[in-house]
Amino acid sequence: MTTDWPYLDVHQSRTHEPTPYEYRLASALEEVFTHEGHELADVVRGLNARQVHSPDGAPWTEQSFRDEINRLGA
Amino acid sequence: MTTLTADHIYATGLRNQWHPVVPSRFVAPGAMRKVTVLGEEWLLFRRSDSTLSMLADRCPHRGAPLSLGKHLGDRVSCWYHGLEIETDGTVSSVPGLPGCNLEGKKLVRSLPVREVGGAVLAYFGDEEHPEPAPLTLPEPLTDPGTDSFLCYAEWNGPWRYAVENLLDPMHGAFLHHESHTMFDGDTTAKFRIRETGRGYFFEKTDQRGVNFDWVELCRTGVDWVDLSIPYPPSAGPGGPFGIVGMVCPVDENRTGVFFWRYRKVEGWQRDSWRFLYRTLIEKRHWEVLEQDRVMLEAMPADADQRENLYQHDLGVVRLRRMYRAEAEAQGAAQVPAQAPAPRH
Repeated sequence: MTTDWPYLDVHQSRTHEPTPYEYRLASALEEVFTHEGHELADVVRGLNARQVHSPDGAPWTEQSFRDEINRLGA
Repeated sequence: MTTLTADHIYATGLRNQWHPVVPSRFVAPGAMRKVTVLGEEWLLFRRSDSTLSMLADRCPHRGAPLSLGKHLGDRVSCWYHGLEIETDGTVSSVPGLPGCNLEGKKLVRSLPVREVGGAVLAYFGDEEHPEPAPLTLPEPLTDPGTDSFLCYAEWNGPWRYAVENLLDPMHGAFLHHESHTMFDGDTTAKFRIRETGRGYFFEKTDQRGVNFDWVELCRTGVDWVDLSIPYPPSAGPGGPFGIVGMVCPVDENRTGVFFWRYRKVEGWQRDSWRFLYRTLIEKRHWEVLEQDRVMLEAMPADADQRENLYQHDLGVVRLRRMYRAEAEAQGAAQVPAQAPAPRH
């Protein structure tokens, strides 16, 4: 841990640089929240409509989205 | 301990209360770290079981910095002559002169510490007030239904300017006008002060929930502010995000700022916010904070001496009066009582 003054670090919450998949999902989520709504059903429908799927390529279900976002955001 | 004047206290931070020091992660288990707080040098020392202590960075023998010494697990040894100091400040060994009368004496000042929301807080009492003041933690950091991320940054400027900046909500509509959260709302407003049992609100009378429209100063053993800023729809469910802000007076011209961005979210909504925060939002928040840093670091040294204040500055004026009065009271209490004049 650096002791140099000043400490100015943009990213203090990350454990790793997001992967291309994580960036893509995050951007799609913002778009879905903006245009489709804030309910879980809106999110699943919006992501699937944009063909932004989970890493295994399967369309999202409410459960698979909950599991994946918990893994990514816990 | 040197006698503190009111001016020194006003410049370096009030005594007899808790202050944030650094993020907890700055001191790993089994590590130690030198820190400057309230213009004084300290050593944070963490045992491998994570227990943290904070000692004056000064060997009681010849004044060498303990931070140059060695971490011995449950004590630190001074590099200069090997004195071993326990985490409560007791000299446990003088290797050069076994049985020396320094052994067994508590000669190094140690401060009460607590760790809260990923930050170290310490109590800085003067000689008259060594017992820690009661500490009530900010609810957003203790409420299980509220989630938060700490952002810590170091700024070159007086600690008071950083607090004053937070008691000046109107700057949001100008300085942060291009930001992702504070683009909206009127650029004219009227404010009022509303007293609370723990401080005061400084708030707009005619707008709430649009921009940075109110702030509460809370004095609960530690000084902190609470405020709320709306998120755009892209941030998902959960409503506005809040900020708990604290300031560490490092010395007369350096400040550590602690901003916990918090949101009342649970379940998948919480996970979504955390994911978006780490991936995209944290950087945008940082850019807003940098605008504050650039402005405050560019303020002239006599900025608060040559002002023309108006109605929006009531919150700042109130804050200064309060801090100045407290610094005067603490300074006066430090002056040794005058010995009675000798009789002839």
